[in-house]
Amino acid sequence: MTTFQVANIDYIAILPLLIVFGTAVIGVLVEAFVGRERRHTIQATLAVAGLLAAFVAVIVATGHMGLTLGHVDTATDRHLFALSIDGPALFMQGALLLLSVLGVLTMAERLGGTGSDTFTPSGASTPGSQIEAVSARAGLITSEVFPLAMISVGGMMLFPTVNDLIGMFVALEVLSLPLYVLTGLARRRRLLSQEASLKYFLLGAFSSAFFLFGTALLYGYAGSVYFRDLSQAVSAGPISMNGLLVPGAFLVFVGLFFKIGAVPFHAWTPDAYQGAPTPVTGFMAACTKAAAFGAILRLAYTGLDTARWEWTNGLIVVAILTMVVGSVLAVTQTDMKRLLAYSAISHAGFILVGVIAFDQKGISSVLFYTVAYGFSTIAAFAIVGLVRQGGSEATHLSQWAGLGRNHPLVAGTFAFLLLAFAGIPLTSGFVAKYVVFSAAIGTGGATGTGLVIIGIVCSAITVFVYLRIIVLMYFSDAPDDTVAFVTPSAVTTFSIAIGTMVTLALGVLPAALLDLADRSSVFIR
Amino acid sequence: MTSTGEAVAFWILAPIAVIGGLGLIFARKAVYAAVGMAMTMVVVGIFYLILKADFLGIVQVFVYTGAVMMLFLFVIMLIGVDSSDSLVETIMGQRLAALVLAIGLTGLLFFSLGQVVFDVTTVQAGMDKVVAINASTGNVTGVAELIFGQYVWIFEVTSALLITAALAAMVLAHRERIRPKRTQAEWSAKRIRDNDHVAGLPAPGVYARHTAVDTPALLPDGTPSAKSVSRVLVARDQVASLDAFKDVERHLHREIEKGSEK
Repeated sequence: MTTFQVANIDYIAILPLLIVFGTAVIGVLVEAFVGRERRHTIQATLAVAGLLAAFVAVIVATGHMGLTLGHVDTATDRHLFALSIDGPALFMQGALLLLSVLGVLTMAERLGGTGSDTFTPSGASTPGSQIEAVSARAGLITSEVFPLAMISVGGMMLFPTVNDLIGMFVALEVLSLPLYVLTGLARRRRLLSQEASLKYFLLGAFSSAFFLFGTALLYGYAGSVYFRDLSQAVSAGPISMNGLLVPGAFLVFVGLFFKIGAVPFHAWTPDAYQGAPTPVTGFMAACTKAAAFGAILRLAYTGLDTARWEWTNGLIVVAILTMVVGSVLAVTQTDMKRLLAYSAISHAGFILVGVIAFDQKGISSVLFYTVAYGFSTIAAFAIVGLVRQGGSEATHLSQWAGLGRNHPLVAGTFAFLLLAFAGIPLTSGFVAKYVVFSAAIGTGGATGTGLVIIGIVCSAITVFVYLRIIVLMYFSDAPDDTVAFVTPSAVTTFSIAIGTMVTLALGVLPAALLDLADRSSVFIR
Repeated sequence: MTSTGEAVAFWILAPIAVIGGLGLIFARKAVYAAVGMAMTMVVVGIFYLILKADFLGIVQVFVYTGAVMMLFLFVIMLIGVDSSDSLVETIMGQRLAALVLAIGLTGLLFFSLGQVVFDVTTVQAGMDKVVAINASTGNVTGVAELIFGQYVWIFEVTSALLITAALAAMVLAHRERIRPKRTQAEWSAKRIRDNDHVAGLPAPGVYARHTAVDTPALLPDGTPSAKSVSRVLVARDQVASLDAFKDVERHLHREIEKGSEK
């Protein structure tokens, strides 16, 4: 008869997660009991307040690092803990919370309407139907997007924090499911949005299956799903079982590569980015990527670190493909959102170069890169969502011609963000690329240097892409004056301003965040 | 060690599970796919029972096969799934490339997994442990201790998934009622006002040897009337072909023609 062992719970350490999930549940109740007129304001306020409270809780939780929610099996000395509250986890949680605040603020933009301007008034109505038009006139709103986004944020925060493969799978689903729904709720071009949602859902389900298959194989190998046990099993491991380890590791990585949009698992990215409501695209691009890289780091550095020689080559191939395909295909794009999607793919490749560095510098450089990229990308997508023609978003590149003359401030901000994506000095993008590449050169040897050379060539290609847009905005004539930048409310202006300022600040004075990332780059397992 | 009975059960059941899985992928009709999946899940449930995971095995059969899959079948039957999926390749050679890659991946996995040699003593030790826990703590209690012990967080977080599912279903499928619901009297008034099938839709066809809801009625010119059968049946491609039923009619025609020739 074994005795039941109660899980030790450090409630302070998991407080950020509890606050975010709690806010989501309260949001569901608000949806049920509050009248339609006040719902939007209350939901948006509640979400932002919850995120900020959770950020404070993250700061408090830094004093409570360690493993929690589980117990030590004294007989075998196994650490059976569900969560690992350590530096990278808390760093990612804090970063995700701040990025989500900006994301939620851009989602809340009303532009004078009753609900969010970018979300459909009635998700259940057929696109273009009479019911849709009547719903819009009746002032229906889809304020459920806020609780959904909060649940997604909770899953994202959990993703780099979990200490075992099952937890990682559940976190993956918790962060993905709300995103599938959010993707399909655009107000304009709804068929495109629904198609994007379905594609994202099907491919996401497919990638989850890969992840689960890999988990099963790794469990068969190690007899445990905990990263610590997995790592120990590999170092003690019998060679005769490697037939489970290698495919297991690859399949689990495939599941995670889907989430960051690494080539060849990137097929959903352009469609989902283009179809999703633009603020959701920005949220997805910044936060999903950060969370998934946190998870990749944890898997690569705590679970499969001892088996590194089995899968590093695969990771290198994926990193090269991602950089090259993302950069080259960005050149041929004619739609702004698709272009930024391919840019996001190439950025995923650059960050993967940092993952391959395999030391503390690698971890801190990846943490820094995801934060820097996240702030820029949310601001960039917020601007893309506000350039309109005839009421709908002007995402075709030709529509951006001459924007710099009519709206110098907006075009200037966007150009600055593009320069950050390109990695021009004095922007966060430059520092981010620098730390990632220097980490790869520092410890990656000849392979690392080779990767960095490819990375620099690809950066040069993307510089061409971004400069072409800047030239288009400033040095070509606008076809007519119908393309305009819609003046947003204070909340969106705030998030664009913060995103841009962080991009500048991290470019000029990166030391504080680099230092923080350095100090938070030690995993506990 | 695997007993003979276990081995026999495995080699009989495993192919059935695989056939069910393949049926799920390749069946053209959604109902067949669902039944194939149900078959696989029942077999997997039996595997769990063989592995002494009684609770899991029963739950697999009851909850997944019994509840979830049957609910799925109900949904297919009630909503009526449209089988008019376009099977045209939009990208040239995609199917061939997919086939080659799938075979390649399967081959790699077979090759890799086929090399695995399990340590018999470790496997036996694990099995003994399960048997011991089943005997002392009990299978259900053992599962409960795991769920509410070391896996309690994962168990709780799963609730976020359920909330998401419920909320998403509401967002994507629930239409808020903007106008008051029409009563039956109002519907009938509207139908008469619009002159929209005032006498009701035409009944299905009645033939000499056959009458059922899936047989369309014939219009005066001999073509089948689309309005006489449910559009769900049309979407599912389950409308009966009329050729066989019209045999009698054709026969009569021939007789008449012969008679007039005479």
